[in-house]
Amino acid sequence: MTTLIRMEGIKKVFYTDEVETHALADIHFSINKGEYVAISGPSGCGKTTLLSILGLLDSPSAGTYELAGHEVANLGAAERAQVRNKQIGFIFQAFNLIGDLTVAENVELPLTYRDMPVSERKDRVAKALERVGMSHRAKHFPMQLSGGQQQRVAVARAVAGDPAILLADEPTGNLDSKNGEAVMALLQELHAAGSTICMVTHDHRYAQHADREVHLFDGKVVEPGIAAVA
Amino acid sequence: MHHVRLAFRTLLKTPFVSTVAILSLALGIGANAAIYSMFDQLLLRPLPVHAPEELVNLSAPGPMPGSTTCNQQGDCDEIFSYPMYRDLERQQTALAGIAAHRYFGASISIDNEPSVAEGVWVSGGYFPLLGVQPALGRLLGPSDDEVIGAHDVVVISNDLWRERFGARTDVVGRTMVVNGRTMEIIGVTPREFKGATVGSRPAVYVSLAMRGAFSTVPYTGFENRREYWVYAFGRLKPGSSMEQAAAGLNAVYRPIIEEVEAPLQEGMSDVTMARFKAKQVVVEPGARGQSSIHGEAETPLLMLFSITGVVLLIACANIANLLLARGAGRATEMGVRLALGASRRQLLTQLLTESVILSLAGGLVSLLVAQWTLDGISALLPPEAAESMSFGLQPSVLIFAGVTAILTGLIFGLFPALHSTRADLISAIRAGAGQIAGGRAAARFRAALVTAQIALSMALLVSAGLFLKSLNNVTRVDLGIAVDDVVTFSVTPSRVGYDTLRAGVLLRRIEEELRAIPGVTGVTSSMVPLVAGSNWGTDVRVQGFECGPDTDCNSRYTEVGPAYFSTLGMELLQGREITDSDIAGATPVAVVNETFARKFNLGPNPVGKFMGFRGAARDSMTTLIVGYVRDVVYSSVKDTVPPVFYAPWRQNARSNFMNFYVRTSLPPEQLLASIPAMMKRLEPAMPVEDLKTMPQQIRENVFLDRMISILSAAFAILATLLAAVGLYGVLAYSVAQRTREIGVRMALGADGARVRGLVLRQVGLMVLIGGSIGVAAAFALGRAAQSLLYRLEGHDPAVFGSAVLFLTLIALAAGFIPALRASKVDPMQALRYD
Ligand SMILES: Nc1ncnc2c1ncn2[C@@H]1O[C@H](COP(=O)(O)OP(=O)(O)OP(=O)(O)O)[C@@H](O)[C@H]1O
Ligand SMILES: [Mg+2]
Repeated sequence: MTTLIRMEGIKKVFYTDEVETHALADIHFSINKGEYVAISGPSGCGKTTLLSILGLLDSPSAGTYELAGHEVANLGAAERAQVRNKQIGFIFQAFNLIGDLTVAENVELPLTYRDMPVSERKDRVAKALERVGMSHRAKHFPMQLSGGQQQRVAVARAVAGDPAILLADEPTGNLDSKNGEAVMALLQELHAAGSTICMVTHDHRYAQHADREVHLFDGKVVEPGIAAVA
Repeated sequence: MHHVRLAFRTLLKTPFVSTVAILSLALGIGANAAIYSMFDQLLLRPLPVHAPEELVNLSAPGPMPGSTTCNQQGDCDEIFSYPMYRDLERQQTALAGIAAHRYFGASISIDNEPSVAEGVWVSGGYFPLLGVQPALGRLLGPSDDEVIGAHDVVVISNDLWRERFGARTDVVGRTMVVNGRTMEIIGVTPREFKGATVGSRPAVYVSLAMRGAFSTVPYTGFENRREYWVYAFGRLKPGSSMEQAAAGLNAVYRPIIEEVEAPLQEGMSDVTMARFKAKQVVVEPGARGQSSIHGEAETPLLMLFSITGVVLLIACANIANLLLARGAGRATEMGVRLALGASRRQLLTQLLTESVILSLAGGLVSLLVAQWTLDGISALLPPEAAESMSFGLQPSVLIFAGVTAILTGLIFGLFPALHSTRADLISAIRAGAGQIAGGRAAARFRAALVTAQIALSMALLVSAGLFLKSLNNVTRVDLGIAVDDVVTFSVTPSRVGYDTLRAGVLLRRIEEELRAIPGVTGVTSSMVPLVAGSNWGTDVRVQGFECGPDTDCNSRYTEVGPAYFSTLGMELLQGREITDSDIAGATPVAVVNETFARKFNLGPNPVGKFMGFRGAARDSMTTLIVGYVRDVVYSSVKDTVPPVFYAPWRQNARSNFMNFYVRTSLPPEQLLASIPAMMKRLEPAMPVEDLKTMPQQIRENVFLDRMISILSAAFAILATLLAAVGLYGVLAYSVAQRTREIGVRMALGADGARVRGLVLRQVGLMVLIGGSIGVAAAFALGRAAQSLLYRLEGHDPAVFGSAVLFLTLIALAAGFIPALRASKVDPMQALRYD
């Protein structure tokens, strides 16, 4: 088992109108390659903040973060963009497909930020769409799809770049249970095929799909039992 | 009323948007109102007389052998001889009547206070035909136009009456001096009447029969059918057409040409004679009066008007864009209102009320802009031209601004209003979450608007560049003179009672007195003012050059005082210049220029050859060419130098007016004060005219180029700034709209440069498309403006290149801030809106 992600003493403080919010307080946390981790906890406990730092959308106020053996906590903006592009695949609660682009173009988007020949890009897009079962909708625009279909396209976009880890923030939050389950099944499949996944969820049922569940409370990782007691 | 109150509240809620909209409109409408004011005064407005639409201008184009003197009243072929005019007046029955007028420079004196003014000789039918009623006393009538030289009566203008007589009612019956003759004031014109020639404002109206009485030499203009100097117009009979009028006039005119005038012509070739005999009276609409300004001002004013029109379009695009953006911001409000049962028409009325209020406010502020623009224009015009126009905000301008404001408000408020009250709006609101899109049609429309703005400003920048480069060419013309420290002025002794003999003495005296002024290093004089648009031409005979009936033997000339060439810095190539010893009785002499020598085959050594140019002496060729000078500017900076000869005025018996040139080693402005003082001592009754520095004279000679290039540059820069504001607005809005999309792209690995590129690519695309359209339009524009360009092609690559560069830089600058803002989007924040 190789460690893909290692976080030591990660803190995140937000300053707004002279109010300090300690969103994350001293997080120690790691994910192995090929692991499927679920993060859960009450609203406002810092799940999204943690995921953003994992995804290099934000930087921690303190602490070290190693991704695939490289220290990434203090990279410059351009380098972080590059790491996001190559190593991270995002799946959002609100799908966040770009309405002006077709399904295929949406999936292709992260690949256009790399030096990749057009033919290979097309290839990867086709494969990714196939994996999520959306090949037949490649030419459609997002608004012509149902929510569940949109989220599947979003998953295709996340995996198209072959990232080291998939980060999903409540991927089922905007879906009814049937569509939600379908997306979870899809993540399951990806995991089975070797993907590393880190997913934030409220739903205990979905958390059980994961190899491991991490509980957050007030910006700290807590043991499941302790969290339940609190 | 409810709508209006609500509209005000909404506009006040977004003060920044409202201010930008109002300022954009104010600039657009103001610039147009100012040019419209010029347009209206010079080209549109009918004379303030009875039924102006019935007035017609008469002309008879074709050969006019003999002497032709034309002026600001019209083209040189719109002119008649006095006998012909009287024949027509007496015999014609096709028109309700015809009248003649002729402007002249007047020296007037009221209570021994002399001044210069414009006067007009009018036929007895002039005022009755126009249907003008006196403000006081009576106007000239047929009984004042019966006996040549016997009607010492004058009608004064309302302005003169107010300015010089304090609008006193006892002015009728008093006397004043007009060009040396004491005349009785019989009446005052109504305030709105300024004569029948736009661009001139006569102060005195004198009977046409008095023209000879003002002349100090025997006057032949009343009998000679080969002296053309009368401008004529008429009034159609009710219900008759211009064709009928022309036919009726020609029934009188043609026999006179055939039977009376044709036999008078001597030495005319067959070809010219055939053309002479074919002459016909032409009848044209005359509601606007008779003036050469109509022809001269049309192209420049149309040019400026189209430029300001484009500025307005660009401003309107800004309004539409801002309203559209605000409409999008109010989508929820509109949805809620629709949901509460408001009809679409009610919402449309509400939105249109807002945009009309916005544009009315713009219209109000535009009056300030219009006044500034008019002030600017009046500063760019030569004083004489500026005096004949109003630069205040006239009622017609207020109406123009008001109507334009309301129309722009309605037209450019309409699409945004329609768009933000669309029926599918509610579903659009509900469908907000999920994907990042929305308002694609609106976005495309907004981009199209900005692209159009870019195209329009591109066209304006190119045309401004062309005019500026043309002006630069004009100012860099080598005039061949050195006159930075020279002051000029003119006097007309004949108008204050001097006969030619005494005038000659006075003029020489003036030269001496000028030389005695401290700092003066040179004094000279010329009968034709230099670089002032005046041309004197005459047929000449030159030794060794054959002049047949159809050979052009015409040369321009002027008669000058001693030291003319040295005082004005002209280069003498051979021989000597005119001196104090070239006086009446001595050998008649002349100096010729290079073009003259070339035209008349004088070879490399013109000095010593003989020529003839005046009266009987012409054919005997007794004038000795004593000097040969470089070609230098004659009447106008932009004219190619014509053949010119310079003769000493001291050898001419007719030198009864003069332009003086005074070179000084002190600041020339000092002379502007000391010359009038000196002249007042010398001859208190004689006004000093056209006193100015030579650099000023040269500037006035090319005022049109200066005016057009400065105005077009100002308008083009204005337009580009408006377009930049539009571009900025659209980009800023689109970045705000796309925040989430940008956030997603960043999450997917787009870095700052790529995100900036996203925005700048939008800029690039709009500049590329808009710029190309603009360049294409500019080609067409350049061709249309060709006649206004000096030594420049309408497709000058340097101008096009700089315009493209300038616009691109401005566009990038406008795009820079939104692009920067886009790259500073925090993806976490952007993605947080769920
Ligand atoms: N940009 C920010 N500025 C200030 N405070 C912030 C910011 N982002 C997050 N916070 C605060 O940090 C804490 C953690 O927020 P976070 O979004 O990570 O919670 P969460 O666990 O994802 O909650 P939820 O389950 O509701 O999504 C909250 O108190 C939140 O208000
Ligand atoms: Mg969250």
